[in-house]
Amino acid sequence: MIFRSRSCYRFVMSLNGHNRIPGTEDVDPAHIVPVQDFSSNTLRSIIDHLKVSTDFEHLVYREAELDAVWTITGFFLANEADSSHREVVKDLHACVHKAHDLVADRRPVAAAMLLQAFL
Amino acid sequence: MLSKEENERLTQTNAGTPAGEYFRRFWVPALLPAEVPTPDCSPVRVRLLGENLIAFRDTNGHVGLIDEFCPHRRASLFWGRNEECGLRCVYHGWKFDVKGTCVDMPNEPQEYGFENKVRIAGYPTCEYGGLVWAYMGPPQHQPELPKLEWARVPESHRYISKRLQETNYLQAIEGGIDSSHSNYLHATVDAFRLTDSYVEKVKNSNNLRAKYHLLDKAPWFTVKKTDYGLVIGVRRNAEEDQYYWRLTQFLLPSHTIIPYEKGLAIHGHCWVPRDDQTCWTWTISWNPDAPLSEEEWESIRKETFVHARVDPVTFRPIRNKDNQYLLDREQQRGSTMTGIHGFAAQDQALQESMGPIVDRTRERLGTSDTAIIAMRRLLLQEIRELQEAREPFAAQHGDVYWVRSASLLLKRDVDIGEGARDLIKAEV
Repeated sequence: MIFRSRSCYRFVMSLNGHNRIPGTEDVDPAHIVPVQDFSSNTLRSIIDHLKVSTDFEHLVYREAELDAVWTITGFFLANEADSSHREVVKDLHACVHKAHDLVADRRPVAAAMLLQAFL
Repeated sequence: MLSKEENERLTQTNAGTPAGEYFRRFWVPALLPAEVPTPDCSPVRVRLLGENLIAFRDTNGHVGLIDEFCPHRRASLFWGRNEECGLRCVYHGWKFDVKGTCVDMPNEPQEYGFENKVRIAGYPTCEYGGLVWAYMGPPQHQPELPKLEWARVPESHRYISKRLQETNYLQAIEGGIDSSHSNYLHATVDAFRLTDSYVEKVKNSNNLRAKYHLLDKAPWFTVKKTDYGLVIGVRRNAEEDQYYWRLTQFLLPSHTIIPYEKGLAIHGHCWVPRDDQTCWTWTISWNPDAPLSEEEWESIRKETFVHARVDPVTFRPIRNKDNQYLLDREQQRGSTMTGIHGFAAQDQALQESMGPIVDRTRERLGTSDTAIIAMRRLLLQEIRELQEAREPFAAQHGDVYWVRSASLLLKRDVDIGEGARDLIKAEV
């Protein structure tokens, strides 16, 4: 499990609270979401973090998370040819790619909106 | 992952390309002073940022770095005669000074005055910190020299080696800042398997890296953008109330400093594009406080760590892909993970196996690749800003390079920024 402490968080940056979207007060954008699957919980956590990410470091962490989801959905599609979830995962895989490019373009909220459809 | 366009943007460094123009805003290591040791010595070929150049030391001791080819008939000036403050093409006698100005054109009537009108590329050079550096960008943007600690220590405190790497520069930097590979690529089989004898050996060891890499194989990553590049932090669980931190420095455009322990030598690299398919690996070991110790020289001689023996003319490592890096499968079965001797050759073998320019649209990254993602994004951002006519800050502010890496144990409730503040300042 990946977990990031307060000390680590302080090292990276101080929070820029006024840019936050209501309802995301407890989300720490300097925390890397552990990506072990592409469940709704994982996606929800990534979306919440995307909504409050503003700085260079935050966007790097979001890109890393989306890379990880893209990697495991890619492996799923390569290895689970007969799965009934295949079409949904295929859509998610493509959506994560787009979300990744939006983050690279410094548009994390737009990336969050895209992913929202999979919750 | 990167898009095809982003991959090309980062990896193409010839003149006129976005990354090529970015590199051309910095002083870059070009050659060892020993390659042109004395006035009027033999000229040498230098390939840098996709350009074929000739370096020579003129009669006054100044190092010239000029276009390889005589503009008359395009003959190579490598065959030229280094004489009386200039390099003379031996085909028809045209002669060029260190700035690339043609100062003599004996086969044309003197009254034509051609020699005053002909110029070839001639780049400013500077001997600094045990290297000859070159600036290949627009004269009006000539930057400050980077005040790197290793460049300012006495010569006896420093060792620099140069080697050819047969990959694009970006792959090499990625290897340099990728903290998670060392538990595998550079490990012994015992360390990888955590055998009882290995655990016994390191658990009371003074080698913090060996000890704490053993205890926590899934570290936490963090990055911080700075004026000069990035600080890359990797944290591992150590004792009950402590973390073991390793801080790597990435300094624009392509320098790195490996985490070090106080009292030991510090090691770093600079990767400079030779062209898009190859790069020059400059490896520096230095001790800010004292001459390099006998133990450190022994490590250099035996190529156990970051330096590797090379062909003295081509700078191609003795262990290279043509001889499979002298891979020893017996050693791989019983001793080291790779069976290849030395960290430098191990890195080179794996990085070159990816091909000269890895297709980054096909990679599968995870959160342990955070440092690599950060470095690429930072370079892309810097390149884009330059295209928007915003000059790179670090190039114009040599003082920002006044940093070093660190590794340290910290109480879990101590902020790493506070705990490492003094350690990551250079001292020399």
